[in-house]
Amino acid sequence: MKKLVVIGAGMASGRMLEHLFEVAPGEWDVTLFNAEPRGNYNRIMLSPVLSGEKSFEEIVTHDAGWYEAHGVTCRFGERVVSIDTARKEVTGEKGAVAYDKLVIATGSEPFMIPLPGRDLEGVIAYRDLEDTNRMIEAAAPGARAVVIGGGLLGLEAAAGMRLRGMEVTVVHLMGHLMERQLDPAAGYLLRRALVDRGIEVLCSANSKEILGENGKVRALRLDDGTELPCDLLVMAVGIRPASALGRAAGLAVGRGIQVDAQMRSSNPDVLALGECIEFEGQLFGLVAPLYDQAKVAAATLSGESASFTPREVSTKLKVTGCDLFSAGDFAEGPEREDIVFRDPARGVYKRLVLEGNRLIGAVLYGDVADGNWFFGLIKDATDVSEMRETLIFGPAFQGGAPADPMAAVAALPADAEICGCNGVCKGAIVTAIQNGATTLDAIKATTKASASCGNCAGLVEQVLAVTLGDAFVAPTARPMCGCTEHPHEDVRRLIKAKALKSMPAVMQELGWKTPNGCHSCRPALNYYLLADWPLEYKDDPQSRFVNERNHANIQKDGTYSVMPRMWGGMTTPDELLAIAAAAKKYNATVKVTGGQRIDLLGIKKEDLPHIWADLNAAGMVSGHAYSKGLRTVKTCVGTDWCRFGTQDSTGLGIKLEKRLWGSWTPHKFKLAVTGCPRNCAEATCKDLGVICVESGYEIGVGGAAGMELKETEPLAKVASEEEVIDITVAFVQLYRESANYLDRPYKWIAKTGGLGWIRAQVVDDLENRACLIARFDLSQSIYQKDPWAERATPDYQRAWSPLADLTKEAAE
Amino acid sequence: MMDTANALSPRSFITVSEVWVPEGDRLVLAEGSYGALGAFEQTSMQTSFGYGEGLPGKAWAEARPVVFKGFDPVSFKRKEAAQEAGLTAAVALPVFAGDRLNAVLVVLCGEDETTTGAIEVWAERDGLLMLDDGYYGAAKHFEWVSQHTHFPKGQGLPGGVWAAQTPMLFRDLGSGYRFIRSESAGAAGLTTGLGLPVPVPGGQTYVATLLSARGTPIARRFEIWDAREARLGKDGGAVLIDGICEREGPLWSEDNPRRAQIWQGPIGQVLGSGVPVVSSGETIAAGYSTMVALPIHRGEEIAHVVAWYV
Repeated sequence: MKKLVVIGAGMASGRMLEHLFEVAPGEWDVTLFNAEPRGNYNRIMLSPVLSGEKSFEEIVTHDAGWYEAHGVTCRFGERVVSIDTARKEVTGEKGAVAYDKLVIATGSEPFMIPLPGRDLEGVIAYRDLEDTNRMIEAAAPGARAVVIGGGLLGLEAAAGMRLRGMEVTVVHLMGHLMERQLDPAAGYLLRRALVDRGIEVLCSANSKEILGENGKVRALRLDDGTELPCDLLVMAVGIRPASALGRAAGLAVGRGIQVDAQMRSSNPDVLALGECIEFEGQLFGLVAPLYDQAKVAAATLSGESASFTPREVSTKLKVTGCDLFSAGDFAEGPEREDIVFRDPARGVYKRLVLEGNRLIGAVLYGDVADGNWFFGLIKDATDVSEMRETLIFGPAFQGGAPADPMAAVAALPADAEICGCNGVCKGAIVTAIQNGATTLDAIKATTKASASCGNCAGLVEQVLAVTLGDAFVAPTARPMCGCTEHPHEDVRRLIKAKALKSMPAVMQELGWKTPNGCHSCRPALNYYLLADWPLEYKDDPQSRFVNERNHANIQKDGTYSVMPRMWGGMTTPDELLAIAAAAKKYNATVKVTGGQRIDLLGIKKEDLPHIWADLNAAGMVSGHAYSKGLRTVKTCVGTDWCRFGTQDSTGLGIKLEKRLWGSWTPHKFKLAVTGCPRNCAEATCKDLGVICVESGYEIGVGGAAGMELKETEPLAKVASEEEVIDITVAFVQLYRESANYLDRPYKWIAKTGGLGWIRAQVVDDLENRACLIARFDLSQSIYQKDPWAERATPDYQRAWSPLADLTKEAAE
Repeated sequence: MMDTANALSPRSFITVSEVWVPEGDRLVLAEGSYGALGAFEQTSMQTSFGYGEGLPGKAWAEARPVVFKGFDPVSFKRKEAAQEAGLTAAVALPVFAGDRLNAVLVVLCGEDETTTGAIEVWAERDGLLMLDDGYYGAAKHFEWVSQHTHFPKGQGLPGGVWAAQTPMLFRDLGSGYRFIRSESAGAAGLTTGLGLPVPVPGGQTYVATLLSARGTPIARRFEIWDAREARLGKDGGAVLIDGICEREGPLWSEDNPRRAQIWQGPIGQVLGSGVPVVSSGETIAAGYSTMVALPIHRGEEIAHVVAWYV
């Protein structure tokens, strides 16, 4: 009998032995080493064992009887010390054994982030039964666990420990969970499902240090200083091929033990398979390709010809009640198109990615019934051009007429629920229509359908259309963009009503038709979210226009303009010297603006962080001349200098600017304070203008002096500076909270039906005014910071430098 | 592997299982498994319940699972027959498809000084699952622990079922794998737990758990079938997603899961009718004598079927 030694009794080698005993029974005398003190078990089912939904006995693939029946000499719990390929001998801790053929299937090792404190007791990986049992041992009601890593393993560990009664926090470095398998929309749904299980999920969270007490883990500290107390810390951040034995034996090793398509290593008598190998630069972590390798290795050992070809793999998360499916490639690309289906009420998201006429990726959440069908189309690279229109509806819809949403509504039975919030069925709506409610508003008033979250408004309109035929004229509220049916107003209202606090949450719950929105809706959503949820939402620079992203105005030649803030239009000789020095140093053109500031034009992008640093050093901050936010507060010289001045207009302007700067608004916001009705500061054509008079201050709003010319309308007349400041802040906050993105205040005022409602909110209702001010101040506590100072660091300077300077090489 | 068949005890925690279905304005017996309790079976066949009447009528009217212990003669119509049969407690689980009552499953238990097991009903109050009622047989300490336990979403068998909206099967409740009440569960000899959502009109959350002990098991085989269109597509039917059997070992298969087609076999009958099936006889899987299959709806559709075998 030929002698076969196998190192590692995992799933890959186990499957290989099954094939080998099938094709070549009795030909091999097998010795099987395993560092774990047991044989082969279904490692991917450890998560249900952790959660208590399976017992370990159930997931044992090969028990002692199986090994005995096939004459396998088991050396379990014994590590292999060395391999001598010249003598064809493997040495274990208890002695050596000779081989004719050797199979290395040592699997992988969990990657441990080199954080301070990683050696503390209670810091573990999640890899084998021992790790699982340690988690089970640690589980007690009220005990706390932190899992670093929001991938498959990390989330399964988190859900399992939660079922065991622990308080669990998942810390994930990336912006959404399972980012390798899911896009942000599906990641959002998954996060929601986990949060619903009582698991805390922190994304974009960077672990900094593991804190201990008496040698045992006490907490995880993040780089923002947050401390997460824990009794157990599980690192599930990835795996690395366990290739050390192969390397020591002199085999060719890259990231893993390098093998050919027959699973042979650089030594033809040594095969390798599983997670320890590297094949054509690829590593393997999911089970399907491992089983393919097992079949090929068995064939190679039997002298048959077989070749390993990596194949597409699909992903399944073993958390009961979370249905997700992911396969193929779903990164965005210029030649790629998306088909997206969302059903907010059922929590369903489906996205197909097409390139040419082929399906190349699929992400499904909530409804995974067609996952395998899509997977087949991806694997076979099927031409899907013929079924493209109905592809997203799955195989059941192929071969028939394209799905007509109206036909589907017509086919709904009378007891089909249309409005989930208020439990209104189709029959009730049809009855209401027949009784004279022929508009959406009338249906809302009579049946309450679509009167709560409003998500079913489209469906109600379809019922109206089906029932009334051409007698129904659908209202023509303009949607935000092609990604959604909702107009801006509805989106703003629903973000608040449904407490939607992230971009994926908005897109999923409001049924966005595209996976990630577009250049039109993303900036608007980013603004709405940061305005409504200043504490919870994190500004997304990628959803901003280029000027806001770069904190400078791009000019027609690709250079930028830089404008420091001059509080109330006042400056000092030192500031002017610093501006002059910067202008000279960076070869800028200097322009005095209409907003009483100095603009430095012609600055190269790579010089921006440097000029910011220089101006910062002179005590100046960004003038936000590029932002949808507070721009400038123009003032006249007021009582300090002017013979006609009635109040300290300059001082008030400075106070207003210092209070308001840094705030993001739906569109740019300009102020002026003028010292007398002669109006030298041109306060009557600003978004908000204050005119000082002998008896106090007149506040006007809604002026414009751009494409449209408009005089301000009087909002209030008050006696004190404090009242001016309070009303101004409250007005700005109300504008921030209720205007559509890119509506200047005058447009917003017109849409609210005139100043009456606004005056009631910010002037008459003192309690409401105070609430608006408090919300503004809360937002300012996050957003009132100088973007220049944040970016004038060496890291930013490096990041903004060109990748290479090719001009010299070209000259040479 | 589980114990083999020859080690099985003949006793079980549940003595009688019966299905009551609406007929006009009353509930009538559709089918039942009574073992040797022929007299009780005869009484039951001659009985029907109005809305709010008796145990099944109460589960219907109050739209919630109901536990009867000690058989109050006013509300338990079959008290005498039950006492003669040695039955001491009963649990009724209403089966609602949306707002419509499809059936009421009633299980009756006896010999509470010697039999161990638990049938519990958990209800949501203030964001936590609290014990609504339960029958524990001889597991008195475990009963006390349960009365003083609550489950947040996602924790333990009831909290897990609540969060996942899915039946769940826990193994080894009381040994190495720590059920939240494990110490007491272990002392009571409880091993396997089946948790299931009990959907009712109005949206109140109820979770029922069947906790089985080796000596007097609720069942020797448990199955959970997934019948959701979101999982199976338009083809319908159901797929076995979890299961454990004392005779056949694990019933789940990641690679090749069992399928059931509508109207075919007892699971198929449940899928087709939306009504629980109680079946006795020679044709039951793995040679068991009785099986109960219970549909669990989500809205008006069947989402899952759970089955247990004795």
